[in-house]
Amino acid sequence: MRRRPLLALAVATAALLTACTAEAEHKDDPAAPKPGTLRVLASSELSDMTAVFDRVRKDTGVTIRPTYMGTLDAVDLLARGKADGAYDALWLSSDDYLRLRPEAAKKVVSETPVMSSPVAVGVKPATVRALGWKPGSVTWSQVEQAVQDGRLTYGMTDPARSNSGFATLVSVASALSGAQSALTDADVAKATPRLKEFFKGQKLTSGSSGWLATAYRRRGTVDALLNYESVLEGIPGLTVIRPRDGVVTADYPFSSLAATGARTREDVRKVTADLRTDAVQQLITETTHRRPVVPSVRPAAGLDTARRRELPFPGSRSVADGLLDSYENELRRPSRTVYVLDTSGSMEGGRIAALKKALAGLTGDFRDREEVTLMPFGSAVKSVRTHVVDPGDPEAGLDAIRRDTDALSADGGTAIYTSLEQAYDQLGAGKDAFTSIVLMTDGENTAGAEAGDFDGFYRALGGSRREIPVFPILFGDSSRSELQHIADLTGGRLFDAQQGSLDGAFEEIRGYQ
Amino acid sequence: MLGSASTLCRVRRIAGIVLAVLLLGGVVAAVVAGRQGEDKGTATKTVRGVIGSEKADFFADPDVVKALAAKGYTVKAEASGSWAMEGLDLKGYDFAFPSSQAPARQLAHKYHVQEPLPRPFYSPLVVVAHRSAADVLAGNGLATLDGRNRGTLKMRAYLDAARHDRTWQQLKGATKYGELTGALYIASTDPESSNSGALYLAASSYVAGGGKVVSGKADVERTAPLLHKLVSVQGAQQSSSDAVFRDFVSGAGNPLVLVYESQVAALLAEQHAVDDLVVLYPDTTVNSDHTVVPLDAAGRALGELLSTDPALRKLAVRHGFRPQGDAAEFVAATGDRSAYLNQKLTGVRQAPVPTSGVLHDMARRARG
Repeated sequence: MRRRPLLALAVATAALLTACTAEAEHKDDPAAPKPGTLRVLASSELSDMTAVFDRVRKDTGVTIRPTYMGTLDAVDLLARGKADGAYDALWLSSDDYLRLRPEAAKKVVSETPVMSSPVAVGVKPATVRALGWKPGSVTWSQVEQAVQDGRLTYGMTDPARSNSGFATLVSVASALSGAQSALTDADVAKATPRLKEFFKGQKLTSGSSGWLATAYRRRGTVDALLNYESVLEGIPGLTVIRPRDGVVTADYPFSSLAATGARTREDVRKVTADLRTDAVQQLITETTHRRPVVPSVRPAAGLDTARRRELPFPGSRSVADGLLDSYENELRRPSRTVYVLDTSGSMEGGRIAALKKALAGLTGDFRDREEVTLMPFGSAVKSVRTHVVDPGDPEAGLDAIRRDTDALSADGGTAIYTSLEQAYDQLGAGKDAFTSIVLMTDGENTAGAEAGDFDGFYRALGGSRREIPVFPILFGDSSRSELQHIADLTGGRLFDAQQGSLDGAFEEIRGYQ
Repeated sequence: MLGSASTLCRVRRIAGIVLAVLLLGGVVAAVVAGRQGEDKGTATKTVRGVIGSEKADFFADPDVVKALAAKGYTVKAEASGSWAMEGLDLKGYDFAFPSSQAPARQLAHKYHVQEPLPRPFYSPLVVVAHRSAADVLAGNGLATLDGRNRGTLKMRAYLDAARHDRTWQQLKGATKYGELTGALYIASTDPESSNSGALYLAASSYVAGGGKVVSGKADVERTAPLLHKLVSVQGAQQSSSDAVFRDFVSGAGNPLVLVYESQVAALLAEQHAVDDLVVLYPDTTVNSDHTVVPLDAAGRALGELLSTDPALRKLAVRHGFRPQGDAAEFVAATGDRSAYLNQKLTGVRQAPVPTSGVLHDMARRARG
């Protein structure tokens, strides 16, 4: 078993500051501490809370400045002590995983659950009718049966990057293993054959709930999404089903950190007190479809209040990590990716060194059964090398990728579109895998096909190849509008390595592969 | 705009320095407190403490704030698991206020605090259940109900069920309710960090030992398998009693949850009627003695004040706590909630709590 390296993917949001203090001089550094501002390490699911943050600022004078990160990365950051002094509070969808890591759990002083949302299945109404389901009584076994019969496909987020994916994985594994109490290693082992079948129905994966919804709408052929109820309620036209045999519920604890001072913790106290007022609870449930935690506020209209069994979250790290590991390397459909890499003359020096470093970093993260094709290009495609990570001997494939990476050299022009067309040709049709193309370029197109040619090429593609998204990485002097157009055209997403790092961009894309 | 803001900053900073020079000494603290926007008029003393999460609402209550201010105090309270307080750096704090004597004693020892420690109020542990779960328990001899919203949990029968991995679906009448499937268990907090979880083990081990308090290695050894079962079946546990109760209120979580009576009483004071709530008093339970650990003179004065001031005692009752020394106060004040609360704790036996060392051992073994 290989553990993926946990790279922090921080996407800091901009913050306003007007504080009258010495720190005001460090205005340009968004990571600097500021009185009256809480730097909150937060789950990306909380990005729908802007209206609530504004309200809290108005009520308390305290600004919440979130840095969004996956649960695993956030917990790892805490455990390594890297959050000390860098963050003032923690706000994950759930602290269940945190509690399995004592080194991280001891960094937390107090936890205040703010709202709740269970894992649910959002299904197209037509599919609900076709399956003859009564939304109030559907079980996970029925979902499983529909998948097995080929009558239901779905999308979910990557459990390693997104809390919603993780909670979904635990819900499905608990329900399908038949475990009567918290999952054990034996339960997971027993359930593996059924889980494998179940995850054959997963046709979409995503590093974030937001892109999952976009891809679902675009694709049009996927029947359902598995995510938190709050996310699904926010997507028009889905029938939201909480399986009758149990769910895992996120309770969003706002948590203060032991490494912070009394003044910061006082700000945390103010914020949590405000979040629990009736007015803010009302705002939360109405704007985000989460459930209130005070009995005086009713859940927003449309949130069914019939009870569900709460599936216990695993009580040990070995079970949680083991489940995640088998999902990545065994249960899910493998991924298949062509990396279209700009190695034109302008990449000479620091840029190609950064590319090599980023790719080398990725080799620790490739999953068993994954197919990786490296397609470096200059004025034309220079070589096409495909490697598969064989579960029997993963290092062989990974070593080959490292060798090919080392051999990359910079020369020639920049034939973006010709190379992309070749990547689509390379992928052909057929294999049962999450298939995508990553395009990294540091400049504008100078050789081969033009943008318009590629548009025509793409539109002429057959159905299954048109479902292959391109994830372009903005780097060096590449053109944002050109790359954004490619992402929009193919249903991909643009990643920015001009603002962030190249390592970070490659790593973030992993959640989408 | 930036210019004018920074000019303002400079002026304010200079004003601050001038003030500090003029009012050197203790008064500076008042200026700082005033700038944070509290109690500008009255010169209250700010007392900082770390408290168990179940008392957060009490200290946040505007009437409590007012009553404390009337006696010259502003209390800044921050929540922490009772057992986790030991790991905090309490420098600059005036008091700690864990939820029972065992962690309080340990803190007192660590900070060389003189006993006796003020114990202003207490609250027994209860199990909250939804009506469906309570009915099924009653129908299977695991509980008795006195009316719609109150009852007694038979601990011996419950522990027996736990020992035999009983599931809800094995109980008569459970199939009517979709949510009642899976192992039958009471959800508690993490006994290693939180008081209520630890006291759950204290009560259970006392019952399992036939009414004998666990006192040595052999006792710990003997009760470990059962306690491990009670804990491991729950998977990841919450670290505060507030969190488990909030989950219950929001409709998530296990159908049976161990909380403090005070949490239920406070909810009912706000809500008056929560139809789908049954409060089950374990026939053998443990009281949590909320105990103040004064870290300085101000902390001790606050502890005494909470114990003796009639207004504050009354407010404590409003938040569901039972003030020490006078049972009548609680009974009189909760008359409107007697459908839910066993006011006189009729038929409820108190289990003694093992020493903190033993309790720690038990918790570690149960988790491990």
